[in-house]
Parts: sequence; structure tokens; C-alpha cells
Amino acid sequence: MISRILLIASLVAFAIAAPGAVAQTDTAPPRKDFRQLLQDAEKARDENRDEDALRLFRRALIVQPESEEALWYLGTMLYEKKQYAEARDALRVFMTLRSDAGAGWALLGMTEFNLREYPRALDHLQRARSMGVGDRKDLSQAMFYDLACLLNRFERYDEVMVILATADADDSFIEPAGLHGLRMPYLPAEIPADRRAMVEVAGRAVLAFQAQRYDEAETGFKQLILDYPNEPGVHFLYGAFLSVQRPGDAVPEFERELQISPAHVLARVRLAEQLVGSRDYDRALALAREAMKLEPKRVSAHLYAGEALVGKGDLGDGIKELEIARDGEPDATRTRWDLLRAYLSAGRQEDANREKQEIGKLLRLDAQSHPSESGETQHDQNPH
Amino acid sequence: MMAPFHIAAGFRSPHLSILLLALSMVLPSAAVPPTRFDTIAGQADAARTANHVPDAIRLYREATRLKPAWSDGWWYLGSLFYDLDRFSEAAAAFRHLLDDPRYRGSAHAFVGLCEYETGQYDDALAQFRAWAGAGWAGTPELRTVGYYHFSLLLTREGKFTQSLALITWLVPRLGDNAELTEAMGLASLRIRYLPENCPPELRERVWLSGKAALYAQMAPRQFEPADEFAARLVARYGGQPEVHAVRAMLYEIEDKKAEAEVEYREELKISPDHVPALVALAEMDLDKGETAEARVFAQKAIDAETNHAEAHHLLGRVFLANRDLAASVKELETARQLAPKSAGVRAHLAMVYGRLGRIQEAKAESAAYIELKNKADAAAALRIKSQGQPAIPAQDSSSETLEKTN
Repeated sequence: MISRILLIASLVAFAIAAPGAVAQTDTAPPRKDFRQLLQDAEKARDENRDEDALRLFRRALIVQPESEEALWYLGTMLYEKKQYAEARDALRVFMTLRSDAGAGWALLGMTEFNLREYPRALDHLQRARSMGVGDRKDLSQAMFYDLACLLNRFERYDEVMVILATADADDSFIEPAGLHGLRMPYLPAEIPADRRAMVEVAGRAVLAFQAQRYDEAETGFKQLILDYPNEPGVHFLYGAFLSVQRPGDAVPEFERELQISPAHVLARVRLAEQLVGSRDYDRALALAREAMKLEPKRVSAHLYAGEALVGKGDLGDGIKELEIARDGEPDATRTRWDLLRAYLSAGRQEDANREKQEIGKLLRLDAQSHPSESGETQHDQNPH
Repeated sequence: MMAPFHIAAGFRSPHLSILLLALSMVLPSAAVPPTRFDTIAGQADAARTANHVPDAIRLYREATRLKPAWSDGWWYLGSLFYDLDRFSEAAAAFRHLLDDPRYRGSAHAFVGLCEYETGQYDDALAQFRAWAGAGWAGTPELRTVGYYHFSLLLTREGKFTQSLALITWLVPRLGDNAELTEAMGLASLRIRYLPENCPPELRERVWLSGKAALYAQMAPRQFEPADEFAARLVARYGGQPEVHAVRAMLYEIEDKKAEAEVEYREELKISPDHVPALVALAEMDLDKGETAEARVFAQKAIDAETNHAEAHHLLGRVFLANRDLAASVKELETARQLAPKSAGVRAHLAMVYGRLGRIQEAKAESAAYIELKNKADAAAALRIKSQGQPAIPAQDSSSETLEKTN
């Protein structure tokens, strides 16, 4: 597990642009008193007299409640000392003044994580991620770790994959990766004791896959199947891996998963995808429709239902399903290509032209930036 | 995949904007020279509008200091603090509005939310009850967050049925949502924890039971995944208390009475004094005419929880079925005392009084029954018409298990 102990020295540089960054209020007493307190507090901190430093920062904040420096130093010191509730309160006031500080949101989110205020922690860590935390590797890794854990817990598994890729996840991410792979909505501390080994095997395999060490990943997935053949999620995970590596071999794994977990939506969807690929449209359509029944908003179910219907020659209904998929995820090029072809087959030239234009835009955007992050229907490179 | 709606995180910004927009601004009259208060209030509004939050807070603080009766100022100040998660300060501001007829309803909810966040759970629960009593005022967003936190606090207080009834209200709107799952899991397993202090080792159990409960309450109900999660729950934790009761309740929802009975009996092997199982089995026995065992179960439930209105009600029905009218009336009168608003109790009392020849009392109970029934029907119709406000969770402990029978 990633150590959450952050080096204050690596953070303080961001917080305080200059000594003059102290906010002024109408009722501020003479500046000298405050500056003296702050200097004394910093000196105490530098001399590792932490309790003195904390006392002096608190006094400084009585004089100037909106001092960014004092709030930040107090918040970070309290965080290091695991006094999370008070750290949180100081950091929240700090963020009122510096809502542009990505690292501040990260530290606040991690503090809230430790206080088990998970929805709020997730919100703030997401904000930190979108703003960036600069080049502080220790902070960004800690942020990504907590973020991956929380996204798992909130069952937002698809987003975890992106985090794992972005974070350049090392072995410290084994547990979040395993929980993600097995779609278990637990924090590492919440993994049942008799599931810990399974999560670890899965996590190592997922991380190996992520790093494109495919042989190692396959060994791991096979081990998982061998050790836990009847556990929910195991065959789906291996099937998802195989669907990238050897698509034909994925089908029995998804089928086995559905025997173990009859209501598994994604196993149905991914199986439908494979069956569309092998032109078994009737089975693919049935599976996609079952998935829709279980989860009506699952975009990929509509996509594969659409592909199956078009494959069967039912252009009208197929187009309807594809349009639902497109509206649910407008950036998915696969859906756009499907629609383009379907519109052309149906003689709807104008609609086809529009899709063609949209595909052009998406390809240009893709070339300029990076692969889609949401990408539910663009999961070809992901185990899920 | 679309990001699911997050109750706590998703609520904070948008709802306030909506609320704030709905409020009339206090503007100084053009004909009168502006006072210092007018000036600062105007500056505060301008700072808020321009999203200069620290300035807006400072100015609203100053303006409300100059004019403590300025409700709009307290509202904006509270809202700004709330948006910043500064809950102590937000609560302090919102409390100024609890007597203001314009803000009172919503203010109760906001104070409740703030007090929840600052760990003042009993106070928060009282605020939510006041909010419910004031008609659940506020935007749909506020109601979503309010119901959710109210439900969590009801679970913490041991009002599991009420908690589930309230949280279930959100299921059709929010669907498969992680926070709803957790809340429903805690209430289903009758665990008096909040999500943030539930021991980690209970997490899997809470999640599995929460999923089973949530899928069973979806619109349309999804019994296949509900059953799958319930089966996993039993497979993993079948030897633990409450697990078979969860399975039994799901079977009851599915109208699988025989399977439910088996599971309740399993629960009693693990938790011999499990009151909901005893009560459910007593009722099932009564339905089958097996009054001897029904009497044992009802009596055991009363022994375990003396003030359990429904247990007294059932025991009264057992005596009624056995034609022991004196004993029946005693139990039913106890049930009425504990749950005077239970239409079912009043109906049975009317029946027993009638058989005893106590005609006046029988008429009075019949009238009470009809009145309660009409009220319940009207409230249900109103809820359907207004597309959704739950019944107000009652404060008295006796009503906990009577909801389903009324």
C-alpha cells in the first residue's frame, strides 16, 4: 500500500507563492504580530518542534483566519500527524481561498478518505486529478491510489482502468487492480480475509496485462481459474483478456461466467460481442436484449443488439438500437461506423454523410489527444 | 459507462444554484440613501454573483452582523458554506432561518445535513423529522439527499423498516447506485451503523444484501439479480445473524411464502430471539390456522421486545382465533396503546368488542379504522399524484413493524 506520508517540503512550495500571499481582512490586526507568529511557527516546524509549530499556526489563524500559509501548513502538518478531522477543516478553509490548487484538493481528498468520508473524498480527488497536482510523483501516486480504491468502491470500474493506466501503476496497486478486475466494490481494507489471495492473483494479472506483459498476465489469469473456478467474476475476467488476445477462446469463459453469475450484464454484453463477430446474430441479439433488460442504460448492449439486427437484415430496428448507443456515447467511433454503413444500406444518404463527418471529427480529435477515457464501447484494449 | 449519480458528491453545487435563483433579492430602494447595511448587502450579492466566494462570505457575515434579521443573507451565507463543505459554519447560518416561514422547511433539511456531517446525529435526525413534518420542502435534489441521510440516521436509530421505506423511494429514480446499495444493505441486515463507521469486515455482507434489496425494489422489480445476490449472501454468510432474514424478506417480496418461512426458521436457529422472524412466522402460522405455534412465536417476540405493537396485535389475533376474547382484547388494547394509528389493530379491536357485545366501543373502533384507512388511502393517492413524497417516518418505536400490515 502506498504510504500516505507526504513530504511537506515537497508541497509547501506550491501553496505559498510569496510571503505577501497572505489574505487581508478588514479587521486584520497589525501585520507584524501575524508575521512574527508565522515566522515562529515555521521555525518551530523546521526544528521539528511539531506541537509548538501547530500551536503557533493556530494562533496565527486566530489573528488572520484566512491566512493561506497558516492554513496550508496547519493542514499538511495535521495530515502528517494523522489528525485528519482538524486537517480537513483547515484544508477546507484553505480551499475556499485557493480553489485553483489541485494539490490542495488532492490532500483534502486523501484526508477525507482517511476519515471515511468517501463520496466527498472521491469528488475532491477527481477535482485534483482534473486540475493536476504538478510533478509531485509521491502525491500523484497517492492520489491515484486512493482514487482507484474509491472508484472501485462506488462500482465505477470502467474508470479504474483509466486510473491504472494513467498512474503507471506499480505493484502497490495490486489490490485496487484485483478488485477492479473482479469487480468487487471494496476498499483494500474491506477485502474479506478468504478473498485476499484471489484478489492478489487477479491484481497481478491485471497489472501485467496493463503493462502488456501478456504471457505473465495469461499465467496469472489461468492460475486464477485453477484456484477459484467457481467464484463470480473470475471467468469473465479471463474471458475479457482472451477477447483481446484470442477472441475465439473467450466465448466459453463468458458462458461459464453466466452459469456462475446468471445476472452478469457485462458477461452477456461481451459474449454478444463475440457472437456478432462470429455472425451468430440470433444468440448475440438474445444476449444483448437480456443485458438491456437487466441494465437498460448499458450502451454496449444497444450497440451489439444493433449490430446483430443489422447483421440479420433488420435495418430499421438495428438502426434504432445503434442510434440509442450513439446517443449514449457519442464519441464511440465503432457505433458511428456501424451507423454509417447501416444508413448507406438503408439508402439514408444524408444521415450517412452526417455520421461520416462526425467520424472525421472524432478521428481528428483522437489524433490530437489520446484515447477516449470513458470508452465503454472502445474497450478492445482493456480487460473489460 | 455513464458515471452514476452520487448522492453526496452530486448534490452540492447544482441544487444550491437552483435554490438561490428562486429567491428574491433584497435591493435598496432608489429613493432612500443606502445605509451601510444596504451597501454591504449589495456588495455581498455582487460578490456571490461574480463567484468571488471568499469576498461574498466576508460581506454576508458583515451584513448579517449589521442586520441579524436579514434572512436572505443567512440563507446565502449558509449556502456558500455548505457548498464549501464547511458544515459547522453552514449550520450556524441556517439555524437563523428555522423560525422563518419562507425558509423553515428547507432550513431544517440543511441543518440536518450539516449536523450529520459534523457528527451530531441525534440532532440531525430531529431536524429531518421536523423537515418531514414541514412537508419535505425543497428541490428534488434536496429531497434526494435529505431522504438518503434521513434513512441512514433511521438505520442508526434501529428504525430499519422506516429506513428501508424511505430509501426505497429513491431506487426508481437513481437505479443501481452504490450509495443506495450500502444504505439498503445496512438497513436490511439491521446493522445500526452509518456507512462511514461500519466495520470493514462487514462490507461484503452489506454489499450483497444491499444489492439484493435494491434490485428487488427497482421499477420494474429485478428478481433475477436480487436472487443471485441473496444466494451469494447466504452462501458466504449463512451462519451469521440476519442473513436468512434478508433472504426471507426477499422471498416475501417475491410472494414465495413457503421459501420465506424456511428462511425465517433458519434465522431463528441462529438468532432465537429474532423479532422480525418471530413476528413473520406468527403471521404465517395465523394465516394457515396454526394458532398454537403462532401463539408461541408472538409471545416470544413480546418477551424479546415488550413494546412491539405488531407482536401484541398478532397475539391478540391468535386469542381471537381461539375465541379467548378476554385475552384477545387485552393484547389488542396494548397494541392500540403502542400504535394508535394502526388501522389493522383498530379493525381487530372493533371485531372483538363487537363479539363481546361492547357495541359502543366496537363502533368507535370501526370509525377509527375507517378514518385511518381513508387517511392512508388519501395520502397514498396524494403521493402518486405529486409523484413522490414518502410517508413521514414516525418517531414512536411501536410503529416500526406495523407499516407492512396496515
